Amino acid sequence: MNNSRRDIFKFAGGAVAGAFFTPAPWRLITDTALWSENWPGIPRPARGEIRAKFTNCALCPAGCAVRARCVGDQPVSLAGVRGGLCPFGLSAHQLPFHPARLKQGPIQEATAAVAKRSPEGIAVLDLNPGRTVSWTYRRAMAALKGLYLAPDSQPAAYDLSAAKTVLGIGAPLLDGWGTPANVIAARQNFRLIQAEAVESRTAVLADEWIPLAPGTERAFAQEILGALKGERPSAAAKQLAADGTSLVLGDAPEIPEINRLLGAYGKTIVAPSEAPVPESWSKSAAAITRLAAVPDRSIRVLLIDESAAASYIPWHLIEPKLTADNPLVVTFAATRGGYARHAQFALPIAVFPELTDDIAPAVDSVHPTFRISVPLVTPLAGLANPADFVGALAGVSASNSLRERADAIHKTGLGSVLTYADGKETPVKDLTPDAFWKSLTSGAKWDRPPGLSACQPATGRPCFGGLSTPSSPAEPLEASPDLNLIAIREPHNPALGSPLMTKLYQESNLRLAPNRVALHPDEARAANLSNGARATLHTRIGWCSVEVTVDPAVPPGAVQVGSSPGIQDVCGPAARAKVVRA
Amino acid sequence: MTLRGTIVFSLGVLAALGAGWAGFPRVIYQTHRQPVDFSHQVHADKAGAKCDDCHAFRADGTFAGVPTLDKCSGCHAAAMGSTVAEKNFIDRYVTPGREPEWLVYARQPENVYFSHIAHVKRANLKCEKCHGSQGTTNTLPPFQQDRISGYSRDIWGHAGRPAMTMDACVACHRQSHLEHSCLDCHK
Repeated sequence: MNNSRRDIFKFAGGAVAGAFFTPAPWRLITDTALWSENWPGIPRPARGEIRAKFTNCALCPAGCAVRARCVGDQPVSLAGVRGGLCPFGLSAHQLPFHPARLKQGPIQEATAAVAKRSPEGIAVLDLNPGRTVSWTYRRAMAALKGLYLAPDSQPAAYDLSAAKTVLGIGAPLLDGWGTPANVIAARQNFRLIQAEAVESRTAVLADEWIPLAPGTERAFAQEILGALKGERPSAAAKQLAADGTSLVLGDAPEIPEINRLLGAYGKTIVAPSEAPVPESWSKSAAAITRLAAVPDRSIRVLLIDESAAASYIPWHLIEPKLTADNPLVVTFAATRGGYARHAQFALPIAVFPELTDDIAPAVDSVHPTFRISVPLVTPLAGLANPADFVGALAGVSASNSLRERADAIHKTGLGSVLTYADGKETPVKDLTPDAFWKSLTSGAKWDRPPGLSACQPATGRPCFGGLSTPSSPAEPLEASPDLNLIAIREPHNPALGSPLMTKLYQESNLRLAPNRVALHPDEARAANLSNGARATLHTRIGWCSVEVTVDPAVPPGAVQVGSSPGIQDVCGPAARAKVVRA
Repeated sequence: MTLRGTIVFSLGVLAALGAGWAGFPRVIYQTHRQPVDFSHQVHADKAGAKCDDCHAFRADGTFAGVPTLDKCSGCHAAAMGSTVAEKNFIDRYVTPGREPEWLVYARQPENVYFSHIAHVKRANLKCEKCHGSQGTTNTLPPFQQDRISGYSRDIWGHAGRPAMTMDACVACHRQSHLEHSCLDCHK
């Protein structure tokens, strides 16, 4: 029998018809849909036992207690213990995967380069002072006859729970100022007056917002001071004096004197206290030097620790301190966005929650505390450990320093340890050193009951109440026709924020992106700028590229600036500025 | 159509039916053997084990799923009996401390949240309702994995075992008047 072409078509037609009565086509349709569930790049939730781990958040000195829900060893969600967590903390388990994160760096080369040039003219700049690693730096610098540099440390600790009235002059009291749970717990007991140029989140939640002209915060503080001295009348000052225990927060130099006149010292302002350290450490530690006190062109090797930096010092203040002849700058950083732009070596470091570190006292921590950020995940291979790096230069062992400090605390027998897992508070004297250490490393907080000591105002020194200290002096407000705007700075953000949370924050207009500036529509129109436009921000120090947000909440004559290091390098608080279309 | 044409067309239909019902499953499914020749029946009969002795709930109510090696090693620290399967299990897994890589017939897509404790403790469902007679079998059936989707063939209901598809879940929930929202399972 000869098969014709027609037979082939008939057979094929029959096959197609028959195929519809088999599972094959339907299975293939379903499988194709299911196949898309397994494409590369689709997140695969971890599988395993669900456990809770406890630690302390190391993103800022608030050091909030964290309960991590883990599937197997992988943290999948973070929550606060006995209080909330800020959005940065809630999404911190995503930080090790941040796309902008530094993952590799020339550690060996940096070690060799530093060893070749040191010890003469060596200095460590610690942007998060008050930690155990800070003591390692101080010991190492003492041994090398180098300098230990730190931003202006908090001259005082603030007890909001004792305040009846709080006046914030630009201080972001309800937006990252202190420990969120403490601030919120104390909030209902005091009247909050917020004086600042923009209706910030703190101003919105305050009992009263006093709108100031941009850049007049210091003039407002001077007015309050004059009124308290009886030189002139002021309704706000009268209210403060009448309301009992009052506290003024802000970075104007007049504020310590205002607080002294209000009798805040010893009541709401107390001396900051630190957890005990081994006696041998305090005997062999270098003094804390302020950058301004360092002679120009005297630092040959500068090591910068940007780990969980609580503040940023603009580069134009650091650069004059370096020798003119080929200085060496090594920075320990999580991203390239900070000092890595100016350093010969940028060495990658662990980030929370893979970090093992203790947390510096918060601004509202009125009695000594000791909290360890216990890693929730294993750090990446190839990261630098700044303590080991600096310690090795001077032969100071840093590997066991947290345990040594815990032992020193235990030796005092004072205070108690609160374990987050069971909420139990155990007196230190009832614990063995090993049990105390075990508690601290499984999520706990040691603190000593308050024995507050009065703090005296340091004349002429800012008594800023924020987590970040002012790192660049305010520029004088003289008329400046070429720079028509006055800068208003957003509160300092952690160097790394979860990309997801950052996107949500910025799209919902809750935060200004670090590299953005916001202008009033009139100012934007005058500069021929639209929302999202590229522009350059010019000040007397220099310029940087920015993106523009048009926001009617920004007062005319001002530019609200993000907190990126690039902007801070050229734009101090209340700086004269202008925004030019790029 | 002529008789000859009808025959040719029918041959085409028959060929497709044969290929679709007999050949296609062999092609689409890849057969894997479980790492250990495990007998549920022996454990149920000889050791008197119940399902939740090995497939236990943790203290927090989450389901441990397939037991880990340390659970098995509790009894099988040394060989119990002289079967080849037992010897292989001891030599390959218990002695070197290596977890057997069990293939899970009931593995669901990642976008599905299923709570065992809600179904077992609250709804009092028997394990057999979803897993069929798996707990009484003497050998583990071969794991047939769909080459395209990657899921087990058992999900669709196979060889007398009930289906574990969304349709099956919905049907059971409807029967029990427990129709809630999509977010109950798709968080």
